[in-house]
Amino acid sequence: MPGLGLSAGITFFMLTLVVFLPIGALLWQGANFGAANIWATINRDRVWAALWLSFRLSFLAACFNLVFGVILAWVLVRYRFPGRRIIDAAVDLPFALPTAVAGIALTALYAPNGVLGQLTNQIGWQVAYTQWGIWLALVFVGLPFVTRTVQPVIEEIETEVEEASATLGASRWHTLRHVIAPMLMPAALTGFALSLARAVGEYGSVIFIAGNIPLRTEIAPLLIVIQLEEYNYGAAGAIGLAMLAISFTMLLLINLIQIWSRRRIGHV
Amino acid sequence: MFLRPAVLSLLLLAPAAHAQGLLNVSYDPTRELYREFNEAFAAHWEAQGNDAPQIETSHGGSGAQARSVIDGLSAQVVTLALASDIDQIAAAGKLPADWQSKLPHNSSPYTSTIVFLVRDGNPKGIQDWGDLTAEGVEVITPNPKTSGGARWNYLAAWAWAEKNGRDPAEFVGQLFANVPVLDTGARGSTTTFAQRGIGDVLLAWENEAYLALAELGEDQFDIVVPSLSILAEPPVALVEGNIADDAQRELASAYLDYLYTPEGQALAFKHYYRAWDASAADPEDVARFPELELVSIDDLGGWAKLQPEHFGDGGIFDQIYVAP
Repeated sequence: MPGLGLSAGITFFMLTLVVFLPIGALLWQGANFGAANIWATINRDRVWAALWLSFRLSFLAACFNLVFGVILAWVLVRYRFPGRRIIDAAVDLPFALPTAVAGIALTALYAPNGVLGQLTNQIGWQVAYTQWGIWLALVFVGLPFVTRTVQPVIEEIETEVEEASATLGASRWHTLRHVIAPMLMPAALTGFALSLARAVGEYGSVIFIAGNIPLRTEIAPLLIVIQLEEYNYGAAGAIGLAMLAISFTMLLLINLIQIWSRRRIGHV
Repeated sequence: MFLRPAVLSLLLLAPAAHAQGLLNVSYDPTRELYREFNEAFAAHWEAQGNDAPQIETSHGGSGAQARSVIDGLSAQVVTLALASDIDQIAAAGKLPADWQSKLPHNSSPYTSTIVFLVRDGNPKGIQDWGDLTAEGVEVITPNPKTSGGARWNYLAAWAWAEKNGRDPAEFVGQLFANVPVLDTGARGSTTTFAQRGIGDVLLAWENEAYLALAELGEDQFDIVVPSLSILAEPPVALVEGNIADDAQRELASAYLDYLYTPEGQALAFKHYYRAWDASAADPEDVARFPELELVSIDDLGGWAKLQPEHFGDGGIFDQIYVAP
């Protein structure tokens, strides 16, 4: 393996600098604060409510993105229509836009006096300043992850595969379920995990549309900011650690499902 | 070839200009005030035979700004919303603990108070603090945990309840139960109330309320002055630890002293702050402030006691939001 030493060295150095050191600092902060203090900080109704809210809505937003992102990728790859390239480029906009801008734009649209908010309010459905608003912001920031990870895989799938399936007598649903879906599964799960991870940590866009009422629309990252405002770095680190632990467990689970789904179809 | 002398002179001038530089770290609603004050002070400083000073001002939430200074932002002057934020900078060793006694009026060259901004014609008939807890009244205020300014709102409500024989903790709890959106900063709340059309009443600094009237139209909102409110003292201080040399100390002291001159005070009045010396101010700017009973922070016990008791972790404000 020529060059292994060098490339491993560079990899490890960069990972240390940008990933291990900050996470190490967080763990160090936690270690200084003490396990009992960490638990006392986390084990409060308000913190549990915020963690539950953040992870539940992030999961729901990622689920929506999983379905809608795959359909979007499929349409962009398989169909030719005017404006396709513009839509293709627009998918990346949530990456490029400062999240605060996205949050303010969504709030302006969906506030009770906004263009869309007026319509939804007529049917008694308030979006801004409720959990719906948070979910919407999380969908917005997470959408490109699924589409962009699935798109190259769809490009690889030859139409002949579907045709072969059809000539062997499979219905369209059967082809989709047993031929296409297994091929897309690993990439789609990666996109799902990225979208979920991004949503869990999102602060900038959510804060404008959430309402931020404790126990109802207060997200976990806001609790961290509140602790920082009190110059309480230990407690901020403790909530950060809790989020890190839950995120890590969820990502690990998704990876296990991915390995299982790869084994099942025997390749990719 | 022609460029060279210009470039050279720029290189030479830059360090000289830097020696006369000053960074004022301030909070959010003082943007307009310090933009004008910096210009006036620069002219005043030059008129005294000095080089033109380079004054920069940074704005943000008061607590976040204080943390930046603690973490190493090289501000020579801080002008924040709360004495307790400057106390934190002092605790980090950047300025002496008795900083607040160095300048007149508790180091507060201008003060303000908390008033109500209501929709045009006051459709809910809100006159005083007691009306805010009525059924169906929506109150907009930022979160006192993240917004220094909102702590004045909270304490003003507390002071009113104490004076009117109500249980203050219960009253403040009822008030916050009527808050549908808890923004993280004062400007955010103003936007929620004025642009998004949420809520019946905005608890605002008096200067912010007047600014909202001036910028968003007097035909949309009215200012309601309650019977009693709090004397909000946003203090200023020289950050000893960030002073490079005597020349900079002289500039920074002159900057703060200029806030107390009739000219500086006139600017504070112009930007809707209640200042102390009206001798050079436009009488119209002074006359617009109605009389009301003002309770000072020391009447309530002082920041050193109030901060941990009300806004600390698990403090009275946290107890308002417990699981039903």
